[in-house]
Amino acid sequence: MQESLSAPIATVPAREASRLRVQSPFARTMRRLLHNRSAQVGLVIISLLVLVAIFADVIAPYAYDQQIRQSGLRRRSPPCIHLLGCDRDKPQLLMGLDGNFRDLFSRVVYGSRLSLQIGFLTTGAAILIGTLLGAAAGYAGGWADNIIMRAMDVLLAFPSLLLAIAIVSVLGPGLINTLLAVAIVSIPIYARVVRSSVLSVKEMDYIAASRALGASPLRILFVRILPNSLTPVIVVGTLGIATAILDAAGLSFLGLGAQPPTPEWGLMLGEERNSVFNAPHLVFFPGIAIMITVLGFNLLGDGLRDALDPRRKA
Amino acid sequence: MNTKNRFLPALSAAAVTALLLAACAPATPAAPTEAPAPAPTEAPAPTAAPAPTEAPAATEAPAPAAGAMMKVEAPNCDYGGTMKAIEAVDELTVKFTLCTPDPAFPYKIAGDSFAILDADYLNDTGGDSNKISENPVGTGPYKLKEWKRGESITYEAFADYWGEKAKTPTAVLRWSKEAAQRLLELQSGNADGMSNVGPDDFETVEKDPSLKLIEVPAANIFYIGFNNTIPPFDDDRVRLAFAYGINRQRIVDDYYPRGSVVATSFVPTSFAVGASPNVPWHEYNPEKAKELLKEAGKENLEVTLTYRDVVRGYLPNPGIVAQEIQAQLKEIGVNVKIEVKESGAFLDSVTAGKEAFYLLGWGADYPDATNFLDYHFGPENKQYGKPYDDIVALLKEGASTADLAKRQAAYDKVNELLKKYVPMIPVAHGGSALAFRADVEGAHANPVSALVFAVMAPPRDTFVYVQNAEPISLHCADESDGETFTACAQIYETLLRFKLGTAEVEPALAVSYESNADLTEWTFKLRPGVKFHNGATLDANDVVATMAAQWDAKNPNHKGRTGSFEYWTAYFGSFLNAQ
Repeated sequence: MQESLSAPIATVPAREASRLRVQSPFARTMRRLLHNRSAQVGLVIISLLVLVAIFADVIAPYAYDQQIRQSGLRRRSPPCIHLLGCDRDKPQLLMGLDGNFRDLFSRVVYGSRLSLQIGFLTTGAAILIGTLLGAAAGYAGGWADNIIMRAMDVLLAFPSLLLAIAIVSVLGPGLINTLLAVAIVSIPIYARVVRSSVLSVKEMDYIAASRALGASPLRILFVRILPNSLTPVIVVGTLGIATAILDAAGLSFLGLGAQPPTPEWGLMLGEERNSVFNAPHLVFFPGIAIMITVLGFNLLGDGLRDALDPRRKA
Repeated sequence: MNTKNRFLPALSAAAVTALLLAACAPATPAAPTEAPAPAPTEAPAPTAAPAPTEAPAATEAPAPAAGAMMKVEAPNCDYGGTMKAIEAVDELTVKFTLCTPDPAFPYKIAGDSFAILDADYLNDTGGDSNKISENPVGTGPYKLKEWKRGESITYEAFADYWGEKAKTPTAVLRWSKEAAQRLLELQSGNADGMSNVGPDDFETVEKDPSLKLIEVPAANIFYIGFNNTIPPFDDDRVRLAFAYGINRQRIVDDYYPRGSVVATSFVPTSFAVGASPNVPWHEYNPEKAKELLKEAGKENLEVTLTYRDVVRGYLPNPGIVAQEIQAQLKEIGVNVKIEVKESGAFLDSVTAGKEAFYLLGWGADYPDATNFLDYHFGPENKQYGKPYDDIVALLKEGASTADLAKRQAAYDKVNELLKKYVPMIPVAHGGSALAFRADVEGAHANPVSALVFAVMAPPRDTFVYVQNAEPISLHCADESDGETFTACAQIYETLLRFKLGTAEVEPALAVSYESNADLTEWTFKLRPGVKFHNGATLDANDVVATMAAQWDAKNPNHKGRTGSFEYWTAYFGSFLNAQ
């Protein structure tokens, strides 16, 4: 009864309103993003990874450092999947055993936690510091700009992994030091991006208006300029997570990052690098895990870039 | 580099001629007319120096040179070393006088770090490892052609070699850290031989008809070391608890290649004395380990285990074994943090007594208990913290007689004490293997000494060998690293050498040797007519000069790379004139 009464009346103004109302930038971006094929794939991969990381305890059949000792079970045993006809007397090992009798599948699952943490933490820290530095440089200009940006140029002049190795060699190997090194190495990228975007935003009319109204410089910077200059950082940051994960894996591969028995994918690769020929599954699965994660973030980053591009009409 | 190489022998040949002229002029009037003639014509030829015609003159006329016979002597035996004097008795006789009897002296002197250098050459280079590595001069079957740093070392056969000449005109030494990569090089035919086959690749090599596997006898020890001055390992009960908590059988069964055995003592059982099968190591007993830790009030202990990621015959899987130990100790309630260290820094730190809990091992230099026990548990070694005086005394007793029964009795007591104090846990004597292409004749493996390239005869004119790591220098007096010895052993020779594939000594630059009844005086008769790569002829002074450069800290040639001359101090104690 109510429906039939209210519906015809309500719909007309609502349609009218939606035609007139300007869509919020967030909603527009989300809509574009969800229609972007590569972003869809990237989002699915990353959501799956996040789920795996959160529910690692439930998904992994064993602890990451638990040795599976059973007569007749050799270390570096190949995968044994019951559905595919593996003997049911043997324990199910989706990805086989590693060199220390541990279930590789459990280790790869727990490894997703580490890799995501590494990616988000380092990129988050780098964005935070890089944004502050870049904003200060772009907004202040003059000698402050010169000093900050030349320092960033120097950092950028080093190949990132090499600089990270140097930092870890000084600080000593370990997961925390790796996080620090990777974060430091990625700061200049964000500082640059933010600075250039601040430079263009600060010439906008609404900034001049804000200044004319007597807003303090800090308020102008943090309330007016920064929120409007962060768009490129989101894109670069998403792609940067992929780079950070790769760098951390590289450091661990070299024995400078996570220390055993941490289930870090790069470390797992490095430990078994000599088994490429006699136990390929030990390098295949961690390698694939790294690849899929990095691919996910790269696809999402690409999709975000397209979605956030102001020149593109929906 | 090449022109320099051509020029140097010619120069040194000229120098030798000049010296001989000066020395022989009054005695043999024929020499002046003979000597200048060949020099100019022969000079351009790199190897055929005029020296061959001159050499007999030197040996025939020892009288004029007799006044120049060298002798280096310690004023007394209180300086901390065991060497008393080294003397060139005549042109071809060298006598070593020791302060204490040493039954292992022939084995020690056969070590690659005691290779004989030409005295003049040693003076020219000042004993500097860098200069010697640029242009090494030895007596070996190969001489250095080129060392491309970071890439390879190329040797070429030495035409004037005194013994059987090298079977292959060119030999190449390369290196790669990864066992899989070395194997790939071998399988693809880029290499003829490789060191340290990966423990899981034994079968792969054996199944491949184009390759052959040669197993190396396990003359080594892998141990878990403690430092008894660093908490919590300053408590005897903690070390004993760890000894009970480590399942050594499981480590050997699971992570060692075949040919490996669980260690009952520190010294391999294949040695004549030193191992005590009747004093077996503590049985695995996790319950007892937990009790001991509880008694010591050290439950929920947190310790850091350090190791270097370097593959050795005694430890083919460093990282994986470290994690196994971590897992085993977790069962007795000890949390282990693993820390990998860079090889050189790790060894320095262990030697300085700064590592509390570490994985290390030892490969035999010669098959005698002294090489294992004295080096590790002697009074100078700080790696286990404070040395144990009763062990030190027993070791001295064991090393001062040649009577095997008496020695074994002393070593049995040492093993009892090691079991009581647990300065380390002996885990395994690791088997390892080399792999060669099946068509390489003369392929062999030496239990204690470096591989000999000169006997390798692949049906090609180059023999290529890939080992673990790049040599550090080509002056092995001041080196202690196996990879470096492999590089040196092709160029230099020692007075005695190890027979191929065995741990027995045979004459090399010396044709014979004898000792007095006390085993304190060792006299070596040198092989006449042995040529150095620079054309000089071997004589007793070369031997004295080579040894003095290591022994005497004030000798101008006592330089080396770091100046530590580890093997000299390990074998013969302190330097002469040391500060």
